Amino acid sequence: MSNFSVGFRSSGTVQILDLHGELDAHTAAELEAAIQKCQSENQVQILINGSNLLYISSAGLGVFMAYIEEVRECGGDIKIAALQPKVFNVFDLLGFPMLFDIVDSEDDAVSKFATPRAD
Amino acid sequence: MADSSQVTKTKKTLRERFTGRGPMVLFGIIFGLCLAVGVGFHMQEWSSQLPASTSVYLIYSAVTAVGYGSLWLFLLRFFRHNEDSPVRTLWSLLITGVLLVAVAAVTSNFGRITTPGLELGLGFDLSTGVSLTFPTIVKMVIIAVIQIAIAFLVLHRFQSLVLVKRSKTSQRNWNLMLLLMAITSASTLMDNPGDGQNLWQDVAMVVTAVFMVVNAFRLSWIVYLPFKDKFASIGLCLTMATFLILSLGIGDLGSNRLIHGGSEYLEHYFMPLATFVGQASIFGVLYCATAFLSLLFHLPTSGDYEQRAGERATMHSLAHLVGQVFDAESLFATIASAPVEAGSADSSWLVMPDVKSGSLRHHVVSSHNISPDRIEELVDPALLVEELRAQGGPIVVREAPADHRLHVRPGDKMGSLLVVPLVARDELIGALFASKVVVRGFERDDIETISIFAAQAAVAIDNARLFEQQVEKERLSRELSIAREVQRKLLPQNPPEISGVSMAASSVSAQEVGGDYYDFVKLDDDRYGVIIGDVSGKGTSAAFYMAEMQGIFQSVSRLAATPSIFLHHANMALAQSLDRNVFISAIYGILDLKNETFDIARAGHCPAATVGINGNSRYIRTKGLGLGLDRGDFFQKTLDEEHIDLTPGDVFVLYTDGVVESRNPAGDEFGYDRLMETIDENRHEDADGIHAAVLRDLRHFMGNEEYDDDMTLVVLKWHGLPLQMLKPVSEAIEEST
Repeated sequence: MSNFSVGFRSSGTVQILDLHGELDAHTAAELEAAIQKCQSENQVQILINGSNLLYISSAGLGVFMAYIEEVRECGGDIKIAALQPKVFNVFDLLGFPMLFDIVDSEDDAVSKFATPRAD
Repeated sequence: MADSSQVTKTKKTLRERFTGRGPMVLFGIIFGLCLAVGVGFHMQEWSSQLPASTSVYLIYSAVTAVGYGSLWLFLLRFFRHNEDSPVRTLWSLLITGVLLVAVAAVTSNFGRITTPGLELGLGFDLSTGVSLTFPTIVKMVIIAVIQIAIAFLVLHRFQSLVLVKRSKTSQRNWNLMLLLMAITSASTLMDNPGDGQNLWQDVAMVVTAVFMVVNAFRLSWIVYLPFKDKFASIGLCLTMATFLILSLGIGDLGSNRLIHGGSEYLEHYFMPLATFVGQASIFGVLYCATAFLSLLFHLPTSGDYEQRAGERATMHSLAHLVGQVFDAESLFATIASAPVEAGSADSSWLVMPDVKSGSLRHHVVSSHNISPDRIEELVDPALLVEELRAQGGPIVVREAPADHRLHVRPGDKMGSLLVVPLVARDELIGALFASKVVVRGFERDDIETISIFAAQAAVAIDNARLFEQQVEKERLSRELSIAREVQRKLLPQNPPEISGVSMAASSVSAQEVGGDYYDFVKLDDDRYGVIIGDVSGKGTSAAFYMAEMQGIFQSVSRLAATPSIFLHHANMALAQSLDRNVFISAIYGILDLKNETFDIARAGHCPAATVGINGNSRYIRTKGLGLGLDRGDFFQKTLDEEHIDLTPGDVFVLYTDGVVESRNPAGDEFGYDRLMETIDENRHEDADGIHAAVLRDLRHFMGNEEYDDDMTLVVLKWHGLPLQMLKPVSEAIEEST
């Protein structure tokens, strides 16, 4: 039934999570588990690739909120890249671009990890 | 008092036996008449002192056959509903027989002269067989009837024993035996008293004897007798056999011992009946003999059988009990103690997954005669359950100290162990363990008994669980319906009526309760606040935050001069209570009737749609984070506000994401463009009309799809302030002049 999955990749020190399908209240737990796995492996430079993410609900957005603080406290970050326009709109409406690095391409995000955050 | 009622009751049952039984009375009358005709026949012979002609004899035979047929049917009906125990059956038969024989014995000796050394005839002509005196006829009839009655009674009463646990075959064998006896009897119709048997009669007799033997081995009733009854039955069978030999006799053996000249009288009365009585007597003695021997053989195993019966009774009562117990703890205790209670084990315990702690590891939930700690020391329940699952059947450990799966040493008082599965709906839900102090303590029937009980126990546990789930489900649905009712009351029943403005609003939840919120508040005479909010997630948790939002709105809105100040306060208040992964998106607008303005701020919510009278439409997408996303000053810093000067005809539509994200069967979203199109097309309607149009288009778009998100829609339309609504008409005229 679940039409959501998370793929793991890495690029240097950056852990890349490829999201596929629809992230909603039922599938949010899978993303949570994925991020927890990264944390347990001390991978705190997390890059979410949303090129195959078709839909996100408010519960899905909640997952990012739940972990961003912890990850940043450990000196890492969650960056979001390559969102489809419709999905980006959902992030944008809530003001997520003001809280997260949301960039157009994965490469941009990886290079942003290399340079420390401006703030 | 008690005695008299007992008597009336007995009388009643006796009367009941006869009432409502017209046929019985009829059979009785027929028998009486036929008997009378028979007496007449013999008197006719006596008076003429000549044997009757063959035709007359045949008529007599027919009448007699009908008469005794009626007697047979009479007795059949009389004993039809008899449920006597075997011992009682034998006992009552013996008593009745002895009484009848006593009467016959007295009759036969009446007027008999006994001279030592001289054997006198009974009073029949030696050549013709005709009675010589009238008393001979009377004696003959009485003695014959009594013997026939005894024979009939023996067959009827033994039938009830032979047909215990009857089958189609046993019923047929019994009927065949009776039929053969009748045929054999009929074959002697033309014989004279004292004649030997001819070949055909021999053959018929042999065939009958075969069926007698077959029926004589139908002894199922013995198995069920308690020891005491078996003992009594041995005596009764022995006595009965002796009694039958002495009264009716078997051939020449023992005949006439109790009834002087019994068989001779009978033969002179009616030859076939004499044959029949002889056969009945043979069967009676044969049956008594087989019963006697069988009883002797069954006596030693009687104790075992009674123990089994006791076990079964215990199991049965326990099974009945577990069917009624719905409290899990006492149900487990009942099941765990069953093998011990039934005498099949020395200690026993029930092992099931630990549902409460969440781990599904099997552990001891209840034990009897042994402590759970001790069990864990000696065996690993979880391991054995896994083996049970793999094996599919009971595990029998014959010598526990020698088994590598157990940690039992000699002296641990656990010689043998039995593990049977509890299976409900094809799923292993637990295991029942039983142990005995002795090694090799479990025999096949113990295993079967405990397995059967385990199967019933599994069903009982399953039932109890289903019952519990049902109760829980009903409780939850009751709670949720209360929650829905409470939440419904948190939403405004109707939008306030404000002159110059029309408003319409509605909200539906995907589940019983939801996280959507809208509300109106009158801030002062000229200003009204309107809010729409959406808590992230769905269901109960969202509903709680929605309720909190309502409280904040109702208390804080009047204190906040602008929408952004209100949202800032709301964010501060919610920061205390919101979970980190929960946020609320909202739009708050203040409608100023006097200055004809609408100030609006957006906290991460779907942008409000606005359409002017000329069709100039847009989404009001001011900057702003969702409530709870930032819990410091950043929220306020990034929050913008828009000031709108109202023009009559302006429409504002506030909605939650459920509206734009609703999908049709093809998976397409309703979307922002369709929403705006609908509003634009209907912009000349009032708020109600636009509201209805959006819902209608949405429903049309979705087709058969169900709403899977909370969905709220609020429509405001500014009509401008009509003067007559502001002031009374007279004042207005006065003012204008």
